Parts: sequence; structure tokens; C-alpha cells
Amino acid sequence: MKNTLETRALTKRFGGLVAVNKVDLVVPENSIVSVIGPNGAGKTTFFNCITGFYLPEEGDVLFEGSSIVGLTPDRISALGISRTYQNIRLFSNMATIENILVGQHPRLKSTWPEAVLHTRRQREEEKAALDEARRLLKFVGLSGLGDHLARNLPYGAQRRLEVARALASQPKLLLLDEPTAGMNIQETAEMIRFIQMLREKLGITILLIEHDMRVVMSISDQVSVLDYGEKIAEGTPTEIQNNPRVIEAYLGRGAATGLQQAEVKTT
Amino acid sequence: MGDNIRAGLISGIAFGVIIIITSLIGFFGTVSALLGEFLFDPKTQPAALYSLVLILALLGLWAGIRAAKPVGTDRWSGALVSGAVAGLSTGLFVGIYTLIIGGFNARGLDIRGYLAQMSPDAIRFLLFQLPPATAALSYFLLFTTTGLAGGFLAKTLGRGRLKKANQQLKSKITELWESTSVAVWLSKFPYTQYIVYGAIIILALLLPISLGQYWNFTLGTVGVYVLMGLGINIVVGMAGLLDLGYVAFFAVGAYTVGLLTSPQQLSQFQIDFWPAAFLAIVIAAITGIILGFPVLRLRGDYLAIVTLGFGEIIRILVRSDLLSDFTGGPQGVRQIDGPSLFGISLTNDRAYLYMIILAIMLAIFVTIRFKDSRVGRAWVAMREDETVSQAMGINTYTTKLLAFAVGAAFAGLGGVLFASRNQYIGPEDANLLVSINVLAVVIVGGMGSIPGVFLGAFVLKGLPEIMRQLQDYRILAFGALLVVMMIVRPEGLWPSQRRRLEMHEEELPLEELEETEAIGALEAALEESTK
Repeated sequence: MKNTLETRALTKRFGGLVAVNKVDLVVPENSIVSVIGPNGAGKTTFFNCITGFYLPEEGDVLFEGSSIVGLTPDRISALGISRTYQNIRLFSNMATIENILVGQHPRLKSTWPEAVLHTRRQREEEKAALDEARRLLKFVGLSGLGDHLARNLPYGAQRRLEVARALASQPKLLLLDEPTAGMNIQETAEMIRFIQMLREKLGITILLIEHDMRVVMSISDQVSVLDYGEKIAEGTPTEIQNNPRVIEAYLGRGAATGLQQAEVKTT
Repeated sequence: MGDNIRAGLISGIAFGVIIIITSLIGFFGTVSALLGEFLFDPKTQPAALYSLVLILALLGLWAGIRAAKPVGTDRWSGALVSGAVAGLSTGLFVGIYTLIIGGFNARGLDIRGYLAQMSPDAIRFLLFQLPPATAALSYFLLFTTTGLAGGFLAKTLGRGRLKKANQQLKSKITELWESTSVAVWLSKFPYTQYIVYGAIIILALLLPISLGQYWNFTLGTVGVYVLMGLGINIVVGMAGLLDLGYVAFFAVGAYTVGLLTSPQQLSQFQIDFWPAAFLAIVIAAITGIILGFPVLRLRGDYLAIVTLGFGEIIRILVRSDLLSDFTGGPQGVRQIDGPSLFGISLTNDRAYLYMIILAIMLAIFVTIRFKDSRVGRAWVAMREDETVSQAMGINTYTTKLLAFAVGAAFAGLGGVLFASRNQYIGPEDANLLVSINVLAVVIVGGMGSIPGVFLGAFVLKGLPEIMRQLQDYRILAFGALLVVMMIVRPEGLWPSQRRRLEMHEEELPLEELEETEAIGALEAALEESTK
């Protein structure tokens, strides 16, 4: 199987602080890979290195086999990597449907002289883009809300709109930064279902940052754990669940042995 | 009761101070004279005096209402006490002030050295042509009675009642509008908008013929501001790049056409107006890109400061000794040539107004085309969140440069028409105030709105021309207008309307969304859309 994304010894420093330290990660095609870790472990920094907002000091990021380090974020987006944000970042004063139209930007080809002259190609492209946007609205269950301002949507709908916007560029790889943050149990279940649907129906590879263990354990093929910028464990959800180093990172030193003792007692 | 007295005092002191200050700068004299001409017959009545009393009485009423409204309008005594205290304190303040200026006048002291508007005549007018003590007493009585009346009014009208009446009126109007079949037919009729466009075009064609030279000239100036407003609407309104040196592009356009067509400078390069105008617009656009390069990475306040500096650099450059052989220094460029078509010279004010209207139409056309395109969406997305827009695949560098170039081209076109109409361009036509005025046009009209630009340009450039008598207070009115606007209507007089894109038969109200959020509904939608 091909690897959609691969990082090799990726390192990012801020002054003396090593935010991401020699992280190797492999995301096989059509898989769901999760990155977990305590607060400040460098997960979002890791995402920013992949999407081109930070320039890593060392290491390499390979997308479909070729390096994307040093490319600007817009070029990386055009190659087929899309992302969402931990704290929702929509274009809040634009209509819902316009947000999705902006997401299609790298796929559309018409230039400004064509826009001024309203050439046939530009008109057809705009019409197709609008149809596609309406289809995506329906896909995320926001039909009928397209003309509302994005900031007026309820929280769950804003999260889904952000995903729809990321999907609009027809990415091969989707980076989701805590997609269920702030959601209740029902909304979370809905989001899990939705992410699985993305892979099954659209064939999109997904890299996920998540805090909610239920989400991570139920949908990931593979989980990597970051702590202080370093990858401390990697494996299937069950392997990670029982890894003492992971429990230590989350709950503190001694917690792992304590938990194991507790388990022994209960059994 | 204590609350009422306090509210009355606050309102009274505020009104007292405002009345004294506006009176010191001569505002009452001018406004009374102007109002008197409208309301009274100056031949038989002391019109200005009447209108002065009228204005003061209205101010007193306002002070009373203002004091009584927030507290104790549910009780008669409370409202009346507030109003009376407000009137008393205003009266006391203004009365003492009257005594002082009256005293100066009686002793023959001239205070015009400090306050230019306070001539002995003006002071006598403010004293109602009475001795100081009598005048002070009449001021005191006037404000006390009107303040009391204000309190009375506030109680009878009441906040709730006013609101209710307002709502009733509104619903009646909508009812009336909806009930008339013509209105329904008009709103359903698909060609309504074309008829409106047609009417506007016909009006634009007829307007210059029907007006005299003065109005053609005035409207031409307003038109140049509309043109620049449309340009800055793209840079600031759509792309969100706060440009405070916008006048630089206007200057570049104006000076380019000046240098190329005036026999004074560079006479060996003298060319015809039309190619010169075209070159001027192109050079202005290129200047926009040149400015754009260094500020690509700057955001917000930093961008504003750097562009402000850029605008000043251009102005200082064109008036410098260094380039004075070239640009004429402080004297500017004279004898700028005008356009001609088929041998007919088009250098009268009417022809220029036509050309300006044409240029505005072109600018509107280009703006609309941009707005509904991929590029326009990229501009707005960049304004909303630059980082995210980049992650969405927008090349923010080229997109910013394009915004600067288009905005600069509009300003350059404005500069070309302005310079060739006046046959002159000097460094003072390109001062900072122009940039601020143009920005204010857009803010007052409504960011990103095309009709708003017209309204803004008319309010800020047209109205001062109409009210020439009030010219001295233009900056005052300007500042007051901006402050009031920001409080009352921050979105502008005529905010932009969003185009409906989803075109759903009926829009889903947000409250009903909860239902669609149920898992079942979402999955149904997913299944259906992937079929």
C-alpha cells in the first residue's frame, strides 16, 4: 500500500524549546491515523509543519512520495492537503455557501481578466462550483442554511461547515484538529460516523488530532502518541491503551503501575 | 428623587457645556441666519433672532427629555424634577456665560483675538440685543421652562409608547406595501432590476444637460470621489487592506497625465490626452503593485502606518526642489491638456461630468464582476482570516497585489479626470486629508457597498457645497457625523447586500436546526447525497 503522508525525523524548534522532536509518522493511503498527547505535546505544531505554516528545522515531509517542506501553505493545499482547526476558524462574515466556494479556490482556474469579461469558461466554472457547493452543503446536512452568515450557525453546524470547506478542494489527505472539541456525546457520535463516512464514501485519508479517547479508539487504524514533542508510542488503539508510557504521559509517573494494580485487584 | 436630581444635573451640565462651546465658535449665529431664511420672512421679522430662540428652546427640550428618560418616567414628580433640574442647570451655566461675554462687550473689550467669531455684533445677537443681565435672565428662564416641558414630554410620550408607535407605523407600512398588488407584481417581475438600471442610466445621461455649469462642476468633484471610493472599497472594503495613503495613486495618475500633456514640462514628450490617460492608469496600477511588495507581510495597523507614509512620500516628492524642474515643485503642473474626440474639444464641465459618469459606470461594472468571482471571494476570505485563506489554497501575495493594483487604477483614473478638468495638479491636491476623506466616504456609506459610496460621497462632498454658509463648520460636522455614525449605524448608511446563492425555495430558520442535527437526519442526508 502507498503512503499518503510520511514524516521523517521532523523537528521544529522555537528558540530553546523543541516543540516537535524527530517525529517519524507514516499515514498509509485510505487510513485513519490519530495523533494524541497531553496539552502542549506539539500536536498542532506538527500539523502546522505539515501544512507549511511553520518551516521545520530538520527532517522531511513527504506527500505521495515527494517532499513538500518549504512550499507555501497555498501550494500545499493545491497539492491535496486540507485541514480544519481546533478552535473553529470560518470566514465568519461570509455566507455558509461562500465559505465552501472559497474552499474550492485551488480547483478553480479562471483568472481575473476572465472574471471581468465573463467568458464562457468562467461562467460555466462558476455554475459548476455553485452546484458543487450546494451538493457539499447537503452532504454535511446543512441544506437550507447556505445563505446564513457562517458566524450565526450553531456550534455543531460550524464544525461541519469547516469540514465541508476543507472537502471542497477535493483533498487526498484531510487533517482534522480536534474535530469533536466541545461537542456533546450525541454530536461526537455523529462526527465519528461522519469521519468514517468520509473514508468509505470519498476515499479520503485522514490524519486526526484528538483528545477524546472514545473517538480515537473507535475510528483509528493506528495511533501515535506525542509527549514533549517526541513520539513515545505507536500502534493499534488496543496496544496504545495498554502502553505504560502512554498512561504515564497522561496521568503522571506511577499512575501506570497503580492502574495495573487496580486492574489486578478487580479481576 | 436623588436619582432624578442627579440625572437632571448630568444632562444639564452636558448640554450647558456643549451650548457654550458651540456658541463660542459662532455656530449659533450662522445656523440661525441660515434657518431664518427658510422658516421666517427676513423682511418683516427678525428672522435670525426667532430661529435662535427656536434652536435654543429645542435644545432645552432635548436636555429635559434626555434627563427624564432614563429615570423615573413612571412617576410624574420624578420626570418633572429631572427635566426642571436639567433646565435649571443648563440655564445657570449659559446664563453666567452670557453675563461674562455681555460684560466684555459692555466694557468694550474685543475678544476676537482669541475667538475669531465673537465680534461685538455676534455677541449682541447672542444676547438677543438686550443688556447682559436681562439676557442672562431670559436664557435662564428659557431653559428652565423648556427643560420642564422636556420632562413633561418624556413622561407623556414615554419610552415604551414611542417604541410602540414606531412599530405600529412600521407594520402598517409593510402591510400597505404587501397588500398593494403593484408592489407584489413589481417584486415578482423579473425585469424590475433592469428597469431600475435603465432609469439610473437615463438619469445619468440627462443630469448633466439639465444642470448649469456650477452644478456640473460640483457633481464632477463628487464623481471623482465616488470613483476613488469605489477603488478604496476594493482595497479596504473587500480585501481588508487598510490603506491610508490612497491619495498617492490619485497623484500618480494626475501627475502622469499632467506631465505628458502639459507643454510646460517635458515638452518634447508631449502626447495626446487619450494615450496619456491610458498610460497614467497603467502607471498608477504599477505604483499600486510597487507599494504592495514591501507591505505584503504587514497586517492591520502596521499596514496603515506604512501606506500613510507612502502617501506622504509621494506628496513630498512632487513638491520637492529635487524634482521641481520636472513636477513644478509647489507650483504644480499647469496647462494640462483636455480630451477631444473627432476634432471636438471635450473640455467643458458638462463633457467632463459625462466622462466621469462613464468612468464610474466602468468602475462599478468591474467591481461587480470581481465581487462575484473567484478573485473577489479570495479578497473577502483574506479580509476575514488571512492565515486560513492561505490554507484554503489562496495565494495571498498575488491576491493582495491585485487588490492594490485594481484600487490604484481606479484612483489613477480619478486623478486623470480631476487634473485634466482643472487643467492643473499641485502637491496640495494630494494631501493626507484626501485619503482620509475617501476612506470616510466608504465608512459613512457602508463598507463594500456600491450605492453606499454614492451616498457617502454626496453626504461628505456634495452637502458641504450645497451648504456653503456652513463651510466653517464642515470639519466639526464631519467629526460629529463620524462619531454619531459609529454609534448609531456602524455598518454605514447603505450597507452592502449579500447575494443569495443557495437559492433554496424556503430558507431554514436557525431555530429549526436542532432537529436536523439528530443523527438520523444527517445520515439520511449523507445516504441521499452519495447515491
